[in-house]
Amino acid sequence: MLSPYRVLDLTNERGLLCAQILGDLGADVIKIEPPGGSPARKIGPFFEDQPDPNRSLFWWSYNRNKRSITLDYARTDGREVLFRLAKDAHFIIESDSPGYLASLGLGYADLAAKNPALIGVSITPFGQDGPKANYADADLVILAAGGPLVLTGDDDRPPLRISVPQGYLHACADGAVGALAAHHERCLSGLGQHVDISAQQSLALATQSGILAAPFGADQFRRLAGGVKSGAMFSQSRWPAKDGWISCTFLFGSALGVFTTKLMRYLGEQGWCDEETAHKDFIGFGQALATGVEPMSEYARVRGILESFTAAHTKDELMRLALEKGFLFAPVTTIEEVAESPQLRARDYFQDLEHPELGRSFRYPGPFVKFSESPIRYRRRPPLIGEHNREIYCGEMGMSDRELSQLQAGGVI
Amino acid sequence: MARRPLEDVKILDFMWVMAGPAGSRMLADYGAVIVRVESPTRIDTARTLAPYRHNQIGPDASALFANCNAGKFGITVDIGNPRSREVIFDLIKWADVVTESFSPKAMRAWGLDYPVIRKIKPDIIMLSTCLMGQTGPLATFAGFGNLAAAIAGFNNLTGWADRAPAGPFGAYTDYVSPRFTAIAIMAALEYRRHTGKGQYIDQSQAEASLHFLTPALLDFSANGRVQTGAGNSDPYFAPHGVYPAKGDDQWLAIVCRSEDDFRALCEVMKRPALASDARFKTMAHRRKNASALDEIIGNWTRGLEPREAERMLQARLIPAHAVQNSVEFYDDPQIRHRGHFVELPHPTYGDTIVEGPRAKLSRTPAQARRAAPTLGQDNQYVLEKILGYDEERIGEMVASGVLG
Repeated sequence: MLSPYRVLDLTNERGLLCAQILGDLGADVIKIEPPGGSPARKIGPFFEDQPDPNRSLFWWSYNRNKRSITLDYARTDGREVLFRLAKDAHFIIESDSPGYLASLGLGYADLAAKNPALIGVSITPFGQDGPKANYADADLVILAAGGPLVLTGDDDRPPLRISVPQGYLHACADGAVGALAAHHERCLSGLGQHVDISAQQSLALATQSGILAAPFGADQFRRLAGGVKSGAMFSQSRWPAKDGWISCTFLFGSALGVFTTKLMRYLGEQGWCDEETAHKDFIGFGQALATGVEPMSEYARVRGILESFTAAHTKDELMRLALEKGFLFAPVTTIEEVAESPQLRARDYFQDLEHPELGRSFRYPGPFVKFSESPIRYRRRPPLIGEHNREIYCGEMGMSDRELSQLQAGGVI
Repeated sequence: MARRPLEDVKILDFMWVMAGPAGSRMLADYGAVIVRVESPTRIDTARTLAPYRHNQIGPDASALFANCNAGKFGITVDIGNPRSREVIFDLIKWADVVTESFSPKAMRAWGLDYPVIRKIKPDIIMLSTCLMGQTGPLATFAGFGNLAAAIAGFNNLTGWADRAPAGPFGAYTDYVSPRFTAIAIMAALEYRRHTGKGQYIDQSQAEASLHFLTPALLDFSANGRVQTGAGNSDPYFAPHGVYPAKGDDQWLAIVCRSEDDFRALCEVMKRPALASDARFKTMAHRRKNASALDEIIGNWTRGLEPREAERMLQARLIPAHAVQNSVEFYDDPQIRHRGHFVELPHPTYGDTIVEGPRAKLSRTPAQARRAAPTLGQDNQYVLEKILGYDEERIGEMVASGVLG
């Protein structure tokens, strides 16, 4: 889909996913690393727990379908090389602090002056401008600033992050959306433009629009382990199973109450509760609790019934019931269970990529969608440091061997 | 005015609840013309979800619905009504893209699956998005993003080591997959531009979201390790945590990435000797003694106003931020500066507020152009202006009950 286009990926550990998405769509992505390798290669976990820049699983996660060259573009001769590359490129993605590339004379405006059709994407914690644009950042910091952190975790403990860092991934995916929108416009106008992404703003999407509670004059959501509180009400979504936990949506109101009604009727039929409980008005139950028509103790009693039911069944049994009866159950799945999921296997989801230098292949999550006509292909495993220096510098840019060796000797490549 | 990037793209949108509509909302911001079909009888679940305007439940009161559907036109169509074919087929002929987010059997049951739609419009792009994808033993598993998040492994990776998994907040895959929905549609449009061919896109929201768990999946593939929730601890950095601050549910996130960060933190805390304390003198020591260190930091932050502490720490370039709720985010000077929230006129309420576009394009900025439609708000507009029906035909449609 994007095979006619070239992407220069200058990002550090914050921005790697963005260009990988474009690479999955077929673009020719050149990852430009500092000599010695990207700092992202120092982030684990590592294959066989051996810290090595070519064994970083963090690096592998976000650099498939890219080629790698090394280049120190902070130096004058390196800067010239980057200009040459940018002249023929269609996208350039970067995630340095705002103003850093411009201070080297390599800001979007500098590059676009030579190549007006170039699209530049910048992925930063707070965006290119504003009072916090130069704040020091980390995954936890942007999660705190962007809204999802306060909503996550147990109510008697501090807010909690997802243990696999998520913050910048949201920003990177938004960066790919912006890049493609700019590309569509370029097809009309012939001109590129700059796309400015703030991770803080990207993360607000992870609040389920709870971020609008203030301007809507509404109660805010509050965190609850395995659920959420809203006003006086709370909803529990984690329930015990015989062999672990399940997630179950147990809510009321005109849309979700329908599922609860069906579930409670079934529990009645199966003898888990009396007829009266099974036939309560579960559409209106939430309102009845909120207005005090029904006491909260009644809510606790009904939840107790469901809990004794789920606790008596395995995750698999409950999943089968969800499929058969349309209940809103899903197993809380371990990474091992994900890797071995019959559903994902049936869809041929995981892709094995051979890493010849390590003598084996590794299993990667597969295409993010299935295109019928232009399927996503994993053409390249993540590159070794500077693996494509010769191929790109000499083979494609026409540098002579001597020029390349000079740049190498000077530490530029 | 500059052209909007997608102003020549027309989308017939059957998606509902959050994941799908949040994806097409992005395309609307870039100028795509979107006609959103709603059932007149089975209300979109998103209309029933909090937060509600001033806590008053009503069909247009949901902030979630308002946020996911700004910029789209809304038409009500009773798909069960035989005469609905006319309107739907005409809309298919008009559209470049058809999207839907029902469980896999629904479009087939209505006779509106891809083979049918492609016959009407051979170069159509159709995207189906659902929890688990169109095929496989769980294909028909229907529900919401909180369930897909659990199945995809997010819940088991969010929690304290000594407790049951807390899970991420809400319908987590509904926050990840919409970007991939928008990306896939734009990529398919690009493919059609080059080849003239449409296609069918099968999106499993769980599969798309697994791209956010790749390091854990590779750790299992490469090392056989099963990662689980590790609280707020980090394999590299210490301190790395969320600390109590002054006020109800007020917290401060602090991370030290380096020895410099930690020395600066000790100075801000006015405890410079801590930096050379045997328990904390290197990152490895601090990780080993993290709970003792967290307690010392927590005792310091407890008396501090979180925004003030954030400024003190950031003045020394230590990664730190107050943990913001909606009120604090809304007042955040950075968020104000970036124009994150956008006010729009609303037919019921006079005005409303939604989040603006997230990706800022320098030359042709995205824009939320109108509030989410009320139920059937644009029936007349769609039939008259988009489909070119005359008054008589529109009258027939209304009389036949197609619009509900």
